Amino acid sequence: MNFRRLAIQLTLTWLTLFVLLPHALVLLTSVLTPDPGQLASYPMTLQAYGRLWDPIYAQAFWQSLWLSACTTLVCLLVGYPFAWSLARTPRVTRALLLFLMMVPFWTNSLIRTYAIKLILGNKGLINTLLQGLGLTDAPIDLLYTPFAVVFGLVYILLPFMVLPLVSAFEKLDPRLLEAARDLGAGPWARFTLVVLPLTLPGVIAGSLIVFLPAMGMFYVADLLGGAKNLLLGNIIKNQFLVVRDWPFGSALSLTLVLLMGLLLWLYARANRHINRRGGLDDSAA
Amino acid sequence: MTRLLKWGLVGGVFLYLYLPIAILVVNSFNSSKYGHVWKGFSLKWYTKLWANEALMQAFSNSLLIATLAASAATLIGTLMAIALYRYAFRGKGLAGGLLFVVMMSPDIVLAITFLVIFIALGIELGFWSLLISHITFCLPFVVVTVYAQLKGFDRYLLEAAQDLGAGEWQGFRHIILPLVRPAVISGWLLSFTLSLDDVIISTFVTGPGFEILPIRVYSMVKVGVSPEVNVLATLLLGLSLALVGIAALIRRTDRPR
Amino acid sequence: MPLRSLLATLCLTLASQGYAAEKVVVYNWAEYIPEGVLEAFTAETGIEVEYSTYDNNETMVAKLQLQGGKGYDVVVPSTYLVSRMRKEGLIQPIDKALLPHYKHLDPALLDKPYDPGNQYSVPYLWGSTAIGVDGSVVDANSIHSWADLWDPKWKGQLLLIDDVREVFHMAYKINGHSTNTQDPAEIEQAYTTLKRLMPNVRVFNADAPREPFLAGDVALGMLWSGEASMAQAENPNIVYVYPDEGAGFWIDNFVIPAGAEHVANAHKFIDFMLRPEVAKQAVEAIGYATPNLSARALLDASLRNDPIIFPPSEVVQAGEFQEDIGDAAMTLMNGYWEQLKSGQ
Repeated sequence: MNFRRLAIQLTLTWLTLFVLLPHALVLLTSVLTPDPGQLASYPMTLQAYGRLWDPIYAQAFWQSLWLSACTTLVCLLVGYPFAWSLARTPRVTRALLLFLMMVPFWTNSLIRTYAIKLILGNKGLINTLLQGLGLTDAPIDLLYTPFAVVFGLVYILLPFMVLPLVSAFEKLDPRLLEAARDLGAGPWARFTLVVLPLTLPGVIAGSLIVFLPAMGMFYVADLLGGAKNLLLGNIIKNQFLVVRDWPFGSALSLTLVLLMGLLLWLYARANRHINRRGGLDDSAA
Repeated sequence: MTRLLKWGLVGGVFLYLYLPIAILVVNSFNSSKYGHVWKGFSLKWYTKLWANEALMQAFSNSLLIATLAASAATLIGTLMAIALYRYAFRGKGLAGGLLFVVMMSPDIVLAITFLVIFIALGIELGFWSLLISHITFCLPFVVVTVYAQLKGFDRYLLEAAQDLGAGEWQGFRHIILPLVRPAVISGWLLSFTLSLDDVIISTFVTGPGFEILPIRVYSMVKVGVSPEVNVLATLLLGLSLALVGIAALIRRTDRPR
Repeated sequence: MPLRSLLATLCLTLASQGYAAEKVVVYNWAEYIPEGVLEAFTAETGIEVEYSTYDNNETMVAKLQLQGGKGYDVVVPSTYLVSRMRKEGLIQPIDKALLPHYKHLDPALLDKPYDPGNQYSVPYLWGSTAIGVDGSVVDANSIHSWADLWDPKWKGQLLLIDDVREVFHMAYKINGHSTNTQDPAEIEQAYTTLKRLMPNVRVFNADAPREPFLAGDVALGMLWSGEASMAQAENPNIVYVYPDEGAGFWIDNFVIPAGAEHVANAHKFIDFMLRPEVAKQAVEAIGYATPNLSARALLDASLRNDPIIFPPSEVVQAGEFQEDIGDAAMTLMNGYWEQLKSGQ
């Protein structure tokens, strides 16, 4: 079998069957009339989309966006130097360390989150430690705050940032850095002109697979944040399971996907524009 | 100094990752059921788990599905990434968009759409439906990782190989695959992790004959999650660490040669 | 004689082989049936039990609905879902003639409005939602009503169950309405009442409300009876208070989906679960109350007289069971719920 044909056929068949068709149904559902007994029924209507303008949903969107952005930023700030350090260890050590990094994630997320609660709680590890050292008298509220939510989201998503970054750093040829040094580039210049541009694909890949899933995650936020804020994930799940307004749930979900797609597209365009002006674009070559 | 900083950072991240796991390990030996206070050392949860056939079965089903789904998703995802990167074809933009849709759609929506499509296609709910849906939701993660890796490479390398008469398959095996190997491994690890812990999608697409661990654990909240789950976590951790140890040992004995 | 016993053995073997293919598919919460009961059922009847689990009542209904009521033989929904599933034709009538042990059930817990005459459902376990107090932090004697939670001195300290209907129940009771009201005016009034409660909330919890109590993160809030007894076993300071206005009650029931394939086996299974000795084990292992009077008589006095598990009858009289309230009221309540949670 021709390799090219296999790769293309497989891509198109799989995605059509298990993504396009089902999502065509979501689209259809979103323009039907809610009917909990039958899930959804005719006649067609755009009512569900009209309800999207309620400010509650905009607020939930911003709340989710803000949490995801914070999480992505923290993952990047921690993950970038971490991945760089890992990439500079010998190959075998690196493989072992990466494997060790993944091991904690193979335990069930529910009991892991319970364990995080035991760390952050009023009588948890951190507060016990702080009080033991005499740094505070009363326990600090850590659990059920936005801090706890970001703490938990970063915990779950950090490897998603680190893995693509390590691959990117592995690809970085150390000779390029030496050459830059020989040409008199200082540490800062070497970082901004050599390291950062060459690892940028890794940064983008990592940020994408941290940022996008974080938008829909609500379970961690509910458990660690005390479920005091509505996130988009909550609202959509409630529409499907509790209220059983499937058209509205579908409309919300599709709008979320489209809105995020639009954001990414704008970002990519702006990026291309800046690159072209700066003359740094290597992908056009 | 920078060395110290570097290892401090690495150590700090590992501390952060392993602290909750350490608590689970300690609590697997705690005779208290809810683990808020230490009520004495006990192995009772270990013996209970041993007798809990349903939980063990769910655990092994989960490992099986995660291994198969991660492997298949890595294979298919790598091919997809190459197709998207190298070839121009009709529906390319659509394919990219669909991968984005999978990554972005809330779990509950994916869960319901998968179930509807399996019922429509007449696929029996259980092992196969679970495998197909796990492969599908892992795919975008593999594609993004591998695509990013491909992006930095010189296209001319491949074209040169082709000019020298290497077929597409040979080009894939001897040039692309070695180049993207780190990303392929990353993709597998990410997929394995995602698959092993999925609850919502699995609840909808599995059938009564094939139960996996996360569903069972999340379902235990009604009566209180049993510390047997901590034991499972401890055993899995022990097994993984043993693997790491063996790998390191093999390396060491290999070295003198 | 030898011939007859041989024949008898042969018949039994054949019969049990015939049974070997028999099964019943149970869809339930994990570990919600005491250890060993399923094995005992199989050993006695030869019917294999395929036990599948879900982590959310609503998920179970959605899945059953998408599958057209097929795939499972026995499911265990909570009170209000029984009435909804009945209305939507997802479950089938249960033949009481096949349930000789049905007679053990407490008449006070039968024939409720969610399923008049229990045509479609058989109660398994029941429990309540009331107030949990950590006696070492808050004086338990000072708390006796839902309204006490509204006191501004609890700012940022309470635990509420993360469920629309459970939370609205408190407000309905304070306002003197039914927990099953569908009246938009009463729902709106409850929303106004709840708005004043929101500043007091530290955490909403729907998976294990005992945890924040045990961890010392909250000392006052809503709690389920089973969770309260689990918490008390760990920390005796945790007290469970039935509010004057009336606690919320629920019953988990066995039902048979409309598309069940093994209806006869489903009846056998349900009847097995109704045996007093089995029902007794359920209370011992799970900590919720059984509606089975004969089983209750078999229980150890410490469990039988535990007011958390078996509330006094006047408490049950004062409380209310949740029923299905229809989709219009549910949509309205959920809208207010979204507003409460987003601080509007």
